[in-house]
Amino acid sequence: MSTSTAAMAAADTTRAEASDAELSELRTAVRDFLSSKADEAAVRAAVDSERGYDDKVWAQIAAELGLPALALPTAYGGDGYGVVELSVVIGEMGRVLLPSPFFSTVVLAATAIVASGDAGAAERLLPGIAAGTTTATLTVPDRAGSWEPAAGTLGIHATGSGAEAVLEGSAPLVVEGGTADVVLVVADGPGGPTLYEVDATATGFARTTLRTLDLTRRVARIDFSAAPARLVGEPGAAASVVARVLDVATTALAAEQVGGARACLQMATAYAKERMQFGRPIGSFQAVKHKCADMLARVQVADAAATEAARAVDGVPGSPDPGVAAAVAHAVCSEAFMAVAAENIQVHGGIGFTWEHPAHLYYRRAKASQLLFGGPAVYYERLLRRAGV
Amino acid sequence: MPSEPDGSGMDQFVAEARAFLDEHATRRAHTSDEVAWGEGEDRITYFSTDPPEVEAAKVAAAKAWQKVRYDNGFGWITGPPEFGGRGLSTLHDLVYDGLEAEYDVPDTGVLSLIGLGMIGPTILAHGTEGLKRHYLPAMYAGDVIACQLFSEPGAGSDLAGLATRAVRDGDGWLLNGQKVWTSVAHHAAIGLALCRTDPDKPKHKGITAFLVDMSAPGVDVRPLRQMSGGAEFNEVFLTDVHVPDDHRLGPVDGGWGVALTTLMNERASVGGEGAGAAGRAVALPFLTELLRANGRLDDAAARRRLAELYADQAATEYLNHQALRRFRAGEQPGPEASVSKIMYGQNLTRGAHFAAEIVGPRLVADTGEWGTFSWTELLLATPALRILGGTEEIMKNILAERVLGLPKEPSIDTKSPFRELRRSGRAEA
Repeated sequence: MSTSTAAMAAADTTRAEASDAELSELRTAVRDFLSSKADEAAVRAAVDSERGYDDKVWAQIAAELGLPALALPTAYGGDGYGVVELSVVIGEMGRVLLPSPFFSTVVLAATAIVASGDAGAAERLLPGIAAGTTTATLTVPDRAGSWEPAAGTLGIHATGSGAEAVLEGSAPLVVEGGTADVVLVVADGPGGPTLYEVDATATGFARTTLRTLDLTRRVARIDFSAAPARLVGEPGAAASVVARVLDVATTALAAEQVGGARACLQMATAYAKERMQFGRPIGSFQAVKHKCADMLARVQVADAAATEAARAVDGVPGSPDPGVAAAVAHAVCSEAFMAVAAENIQVHGGIGFTWEHPAHLYYRRAKASQLLFGGPAVYYERLLRRAGV
Repeated sequence: MPSEPDGSGMDQFVAEARAFLDEHATRRAHTSDEVAWGEGEDRITYFSTDPPEVEAAKVAAAKAWQKVRYDNGFGWITGPPEFGGRGLSTLHDLVYDGLEAEYDVPDTGVLSLIGLGMIGPTILAHGTEGLKRHYLPAMYAGDVIACQLFSEPGAGSDLAGLATRAVRDGDGWLLNGQKVWTSVAHHAAIGLALCRTDPDKPKHKGITAFLVDMSAPGVDVRPLRQMSGGAEFNEVFLTDVHVPDDHRLGPVDGGWGVALTTLMNERASVGGEGAGAAGRAVALPFLTELLRANGRLDDAAARRRLAELYADQAATEYLNHQALRRFRAGEQPGPEASVSKIMYGQNLTRGAHFAAEIVGPRLVADTGEWGTFSWTELLLATPALRILGGTEEIMKNILAERVLGLPKEPSIDTKSPFRELRRSGRAEA
């Protein structure tokens, strides 16, 4: 174990960094691809499909753009970039509300595998994730829903020692859990919260896709009934793995939220310029204009928070503490996206309240992503603790 | 990391600045993150409420320190050498500010906020060779304090609606009118005045800018007491004040362009400033000690409000970091800098009200207890933060119109002659 951990650490230090120009090229490439493959009609079709996302688009994202590999270690088929680069991709996906297993697979599962330091799991799973042929997810079924596992708080129990275990219990809210090929589970193990890997084809593994608030991100319930599982990392070591996942995932989510918020701002601004009432564009009235300015201010501040967090989590010199910056970004971007998605509907008036208008899709995503890792009560308290208060 | 351009000779500059500061100033004992609760002066100052003799001593100290900076090549780092500047980049200026912040030096705001920050750049951009030679070295050497004679009782947010008249008078001009909200006018030797020179033209097109000698006959400066108690700004009455034509900035009736230069420099200087006694008081370390001292560190409601405030403060700080990063990469700050100003005012205001809630009834009257009644000073200053340097409403118009491209309100006052407009205020053009 110690030699493979060292190998992973070595892989980590070779992290590549894109220049500002390269980041901008990456953004353009992803934006161009998504504007042709994931316009509103395509997103709505994916929402209504059985899997909840377009398999062909996912295959192209992997094969043509190579995005799942971007931030994975080079030793396992990745390009070795960091959260700064990953955030650019996720921001663009958030802008169009792309339904996709990207977040669950690349951000949640792959980060957990890398953070576990388990070279065997990395060799087994990361090349498939990098190639886009394996989808995965991670669930931390603590009763508070705060992604802070502690002994006795988890809804899944593991028995067995060594590399093999058997899981019993259920995970009520698993992101893209209805389609993932592999599910990483934090369960109560003999040494405390422990990370396990379960194959979706295993016996005793049953999943139910749930009705969701956010139509563009699927959630499933998974029941484990004597389901065979494989240990990932060390027994009882899941808490620190999840802490790292939380920093990366809330930072990536912040970028996604900024992308969504920016789309809402653009939608509202465009409408305020074209919608005529009282003989002039509604955007020339200060009541509407100031609403849009408030939205812009929130988006700018949120963008700064997400960008700074990504740099901090990547360890860019001169950045703030990553735990603090990630918690700041999670709070600020969650609040900003929610506020901007709600105001977008108000700027549109009645048309913004219709099923046909995309405004509600963003409103749904904003609220669901705000609550995904526990919600305001959890993230504000976490921020204070990270800042030492 | 991408390399940072324009860092040429920076190491040598830093060494030189460090040597200068070590020789002429003392390093601060505490960093800004350390809090000594219950120790030291119990004041949370934003606007000065000093008695006149204390204020005069501070102005003298400010002038003296600026002189030392200037004599050693740090008084005007970005200025052209022919007018006493050092000819270096804005980055050098920022680096120097960062270094100087580590030392205990007199606050030079009385010189820098208006004069060196706004009027100096305006004279440099629009002044004649003679004006530049006469005033710029004296200003940056700390000898001449300048003020901005812009706002009037009838022209606040709508600055172009100003009514102070300037009419030809022999080889010069005769000024008549009233200015208001004029910071530091009572210390100033010169003032940059915007005056109406042609009321028959539309309001933006009949304004001319002049440099006024504040000691000239007919200039009457009267202090204006603020709601916070102090008197940092003034009313300035101009009665038949003679200004020679060579003290005109820019063309006759071309004063609006001059004003825009000044205002651009104002927006660049407001916001982005987190330090100072008030900034430190509402920052997380101090507010945490406030909660601890009042037994509220475990109070869930108080913690939630503190966390909400801290999240926005930190994100605003990140916004400023990144503006600085882009600036260092060669990008000029745009109108989106208004976001920083809006956030700064809101965060400080929220911090003051949060502290007030924790202190509770001990803010109502001075019980003598450390760290309680002293919050009144900041609390009474905060309303100004959403007015000065452009009201929050004007800032939002700027964001909406210049960044988002939303249409302006149909205006009825930009094409008609100034003389025909409906205006508040008593001065008649």
